[in-house]
Amino acid sequence: MAHQAHAYHMVDPSPWPLTGAISALLMTSGLATWFVYKTTTLLFLGTTLLLLTMFQWWRLIIRESTFQGHHTTPVQKGLRYGMVLFITSEVFFFIGFFWAFYHSSLAPAIELGGLWPPTGITPLDPFEVPLLNTAVPLASGVTVTWAHHSIMEGARKPALQSLTLTVLLGLYFTALQAMEYYEAPFTLADGVYGCTFFVATGFHGLHVIIGTTFSMVCLLPHTHYHFTSNHHFGFDAAAWYWHFVAVVWLFLYISIYWWGS
Amino acid sequence: MAGRLLLRACTRTLQLRSGVVARPLHRAMVTERGIPTDEEQATGLERRALQALKQGKDPYSILKPQQYAGTKEDPHIVPCIGTKRIVGCLCEEDNTAIVWFWLHEGEAQRCPSCGSHYKLVHHELPH
Repeated sequence: MAHQAHAYHMVDPSPWPLTGAISALLMTSGLATWFVYKTTTLLFLGTTLLLLTMFQWWRLIIRESTFQGHHTTPVQKGLRYGMVLFITSEVFFFIGFFWAFYHSSLAPAIELGGLWPPTGITPLDPFEVPLLNTAVPLASGVTVTWAHHSIMEGARKPALQSLTLTVLLGLYFTALQAMEYYEAPFTLADGVYGCTFFVATGFHGLHVIIGTTFSMVCLLPHTHYHFTSNHHFGFDAAAWYWHFVAVVWLFLYISIYWWGS
Repeated sequence: MAGRLLLRACTRTLQLRSGVVARPLHRAMVTERGIPTDEEQATGLERRALQALKQGKDPYSILKPQQYAGTKEDPHIVPCIGTKRIVGCLCEEDNTAIVWFWLHEGEAQRCPSCGSHYKLVHHELPH
């Protein structure tokens, strides 16, 4: 029987990359048709296909790694590089929005009244809910680090508790932001202030939801004993992503909420 | 999940009848504190690679290759799962022309260009 003489994982063909690409097409065109024609069919189809792809693809990865043992040390190293590069690309994504914010706010146009916040805009008080929304990601950074150390030391119960706490804090943050969005005295349509505010914080909120989902998806394998004290890359990736999301919030808070008010 | 509950109920009943101590059904080997180690749980290629490295062997070429002098007394050791393997010799550092040749089992062969010695050593893949 021919076994490979290298430590890399030559993946078997699967349909999920294709369904993922199709769902990306359906979601983007669906967004456009929703904006123009107010129909949500394409968007709904695309989202369903995306959820199916995510479920099946990650289930396949869990099978290949935990149950079949394909994730040797070199494979893990490659996955780490991949996650780091992905997070770096997301950092640059946010840099774009911060650039837009500072471009408009450092030298406010005469149409805005020559000042920032622009005339007519009542910004949110940075020392009310936004401050709480800063304490929450910081606390969840602590809990996710606690979870990581628990896993490395082989302590199952503290790991479960701290990971659950991290997910709960993430959900709390999303709930608070949703409430803030609802109660805000300005909207996306309120000039460049509203635009930079909601686009930057909105994308951040989306990333918080993604990060929370990632952590929730880590809880499930953990309860089924998938992680070992040495090999738990899925959790590492979730923790890195979560720290990234928390750091972006800090920058958002300091730039848009505090300095920009 | 219902199947598992049913199975557990049946097992418990049978065990209580025969007086056997009931062991946790699906967790037979786990560390004291609850999270398994690689030693307990790694499987497949990952396990084979880890076990081999623990014994000081590297059949999957994970580590950097060892440096050899290339002399008759200290030839380059070339592991092989068959009886011959292609060798590419960079006679000097930064050479762009690689000297390729087949290395056969048996006596050490020399690079036709720089004369370094190469010796094929048979290796089995763990399985």
